[in-house]
Amino acid sequence: MTGTYATVITVVALLFAGWTLICAAMNRRPTLLLFAAAVLLEALLLGFAVGGIVQMAGSDRHFARAEFVGYLLGCLAIPPLAFYWARGERSRSGTLVIALAFLITPVMVLRVQQVWAGSVG
Amino acid sequence: MVDPGVADPGAGHTPAPTGQGFGRVLVAIYGIFALAATSRSAVQLATEFDKAPLAYLLSAFAAIVYIVATVSLARKGATSRRLATVAISIELVGVLIVGAASELFPSIFQHPTVWTGFGSGYLFVPLVLPFVGLWWLRHTR
Repeated sequence: MTGTYATVITVVALLFAGWTLICAAMNRRPTLLLFAAAVLLEALLLGFAVGGIVQMAGSDRHFARAEFVGYLLGCLAIPPLAFYWARGERSRSGTLVIALAFLITPVMVLRVQQVWAGSVG
Repeated sequence: MVDPGVADPGAGHTPAPTGQGFGRVLVAIYGIFALAATSRSAVQLATEFDKAPLAYLLSAFAAIVYIVATVSLARKGATSRRLATVAISIELVGVLIVGAASELFPSIFQHPTVWTGFGSGYLFVPLVLPFVGLWWLRHTR
């Protein structure tokens, strides 16, 4: 997996997470701007997934391919799930759920890279 | 939700839903662990079950416990509340027993599960989570 693109996703997700946590600290419910941020991250993750699968298809290396695809799809599922679960919440907790989604994304990206590198566990 | 099957001390008292307010965040954390434990155990069982059957069956068991806890905390109603209490109690016992066993008999637990070392591979969140879950169930009762 190309490191630069994954690093960009990680940095963007962590910046969004910090911003979202500040929003939660200020007692804000999820805003449209937050939703736009999640859409941007989702677009980056889509590129990551497509790129990853293309690279996998072009590789002869032996690694856990099913797990690799599973984690890539897992990355993609997180932001929509977070917004689905945060909807209708009338407190800052909805915002915190979105923050969790942003925080967990770098972990998932790291797992994708670990699987790609072959250290399955 | 009022449960007709349970004698309620305060007549007409309705317990607060477990999936709102702080419960939203708690369910999200449980959901992350359900996802993490499920994906880990699915791969372990599919590809390397023979290497460490005990550890991988424990992973699968933990995954089921987290899924049940997530769904039952997210849902309303007395049945869900009871199911959540059972699941989170099992989770607490599981993390304590597996955590202690992995310290005492490390040779059996060379292949990690989510509860190995009291959840040390997951920043000890698996150890803290059941306490928070049981507290939340009491708090919303």
